[in-house]
Amino acid sequence: MTSTTTNATVESPLVPVHTTGWQGGLANLVRKELGQWWGTRMWWIQTLIWVVLLNGVATVVMLEGAGRPPQEVVAETVQTFLLMGAMVIGIGVVLTIQGAVVGEKELGTAAWVMSKPASRASFVLAKLIGYSVGFFATALLIPSIVFVVQAQFLLSVPLDYGRFALAVGIVALSVLFYVALTIGLGCMFKGRGPVAGIGIGLVLVGQFFKGMLPLPLVMATPWLLGDVATSFALASPPDFNRMVPIIVTTAAALALVYLAIWRFQREEF
Amino acid sequence: MQTKVIQNPSDPAASAPSVQDTVIHTVGLTKTFGHVNALQGIDLTVPRNSIVGFLGPNGSGKTTAIKLLLGLSRPTAGKATLFGMDSIQDSLAIRSRVGYLAQDPRFYTHMTARETLEFTARFFYRGPAEAIRARIDETLELVGLADKADRPTKGFSGGERQRLGIAQAQVNYPDLLILDEPAAALDPVGRRDVLDVMERLRAYTTIFYSTHILDDVERVSDYVAILDHGRMVASSLTAALLDGDSTTYELTIRGDQQAVLRALRAHPWVSNITTAPQNGSTAMTISVTDEQAAESGLLRSVIAIDDLVVTAFGRRHFNLEDVFLQLVKDPRE
Repeated sequence: MTSTTTNATVESPLVPVHTTGWQGGLANLVRKELGQWWGTRMWWIQTLIWVVLLNGVATVVMLEGAGRPPQEVVAETVQTFLLMGAMVIGIGVVLTIQGAVVGEKELGTAAWVMSKPASRASFVLAKLIGYSVGFFATALLIPSIVFVVQAQFLLSVPLDYGRFALAVGIVALSVLFYVALTIGLGCMFKGRGPVAGIGIGLVLVGQFFKGMLPLPLVMATPWLLGDVATSFALASPPDFNRMVPIIVTTAAALALVYLAIWRFQREEF
Repeated sequence: MQTKVIQNPSDPAASAPSVQDTVIHTVGLTKTFGHVNALQGIDLTVPRNSIVGFLGPNGSGKTTAIKLLLGLSRPTAGKATLFGMDSIQDSLAIRSRVGYLAQDPRFYTHMTARETLEFTARFFYRGPAEAIRARIDETLELVGLADKADRPTKGFSGGERQRLGIAQAQVNYPDLLILDEPAAALDPVGRRDVLDVMERLRAYTTIFYSTHILDDVERVSDYVAILDHGRMVASSLTAALLDGDSTTYELTIRGDQQAVLRALRAHPWVSNITTAPQNGSTAMTISVTDEQAAESGLLRSVIAIDDLVVTAFGRRHFNLEDVFLQLVKDPRE
């Protein structure tokens, strides 16, 4: 160490931040979370995974449809892309984010950040914003753009871009739900096991058992969002009210965020 | 909860300082984890611009107390105020004036040292970017990490993390620095450097730090607080604590030992004398019951003896290790 003088009384051009309330430190924490996505290899690794997975399967479906009615191939391709997106991205979200809060609690970085003028709500919200934006962009937006380009070349019937964008937005709601769920579980549990187990379990139970459960029950879950998205994209209304899963999932995501903040505010470091 | 507190009556910290002069004040601060009483009603006052060494064996509750002060944990009972503000209600405002170094500092491994400091600084300053950069460069220089500034912290050694921890703790010119074992992971040179930094910061900030290294406390601390099994067993000016209780004197003589013993025993206020040979001299430890009488009469009665050489005389002076071991219970006992 050198003998540089540290003088708090020196005239400083630094402009202090005056933070109070729940948003204290939020901007800085969001910048850090986004930096973790876009300032490291994470963004292109995630993009590569999702493009290979979602667009790879979509390409196979498009190519296998040769000789069948074009409208049918379009419907099957869109349905595969959206249903897979809603399910597989959910699993990807849980696997990727399972340590986002738990890991920081274990490592001590959460305690370090909470020793700075940052609110606990900001810590949780920054994670929510960072991971939602990251997954939306790399797992949904970029593969969707690639899908549109693929469809241009491989399908003889053009896509309705407006409806497809609306459908992607509904899958984004599913992503948001799983991000909120995983972060919420991370705030509630001390280990990664329950976070990953409950998160992935919820995705898989939905996908494999939703047909066996009563429809009113399934409608009150995010499990039907893939079907809802497909119905919007293909303009084929399903035999249930499409707004119910949308409203319930939005409400559930908000409730999970509230619970996560409530629990994290009681966390003892 | 009553705590045994050693305090010199002339100790300015013993009389309640004004709110403006007090940085940390705790009253009956208590923390319980299940059936474990980690902190048992500690009362602590830290005056402004002082360096306070917070001592205690492993598991005595030092880190718990620090976390309570920072609002990282909630007290089971009692209260802590920093700058006159409540540690829970006003935690955000308090943290904007505090710098903290954790016992085992950890940072985001994808960030470099410079990015870590920039991230920290952004909690306190909006800009301008150039001024923040300049502050970071100054801080990196201060802790000797300028040449490693652009390396990710993932590869940092314990000592380098500790240096970065000190850097981030004082990047915001804090009014209070709370350091949990700041020199624990450092080699002797790094340890000396940390103490030098603390000495330099003394004029601008208050430093409250926990440590096991008693020599460091003796060197830089104005005050010492000793914690044992969650109880405050001593809180005093360092000098006052080391001066002892002023009822024990040490005398070293060359000459007629028996004459000295006779002269001393003639005083009704001399309660006990022990002797030990010391390099051809005799070292005596004299306990007294009347401090004032001893102050004026003890040495006088000894030097009146013919052909006697007094080579040393004074109140018994402790080193911190003596005091610490005397106050802190050995868990094996």
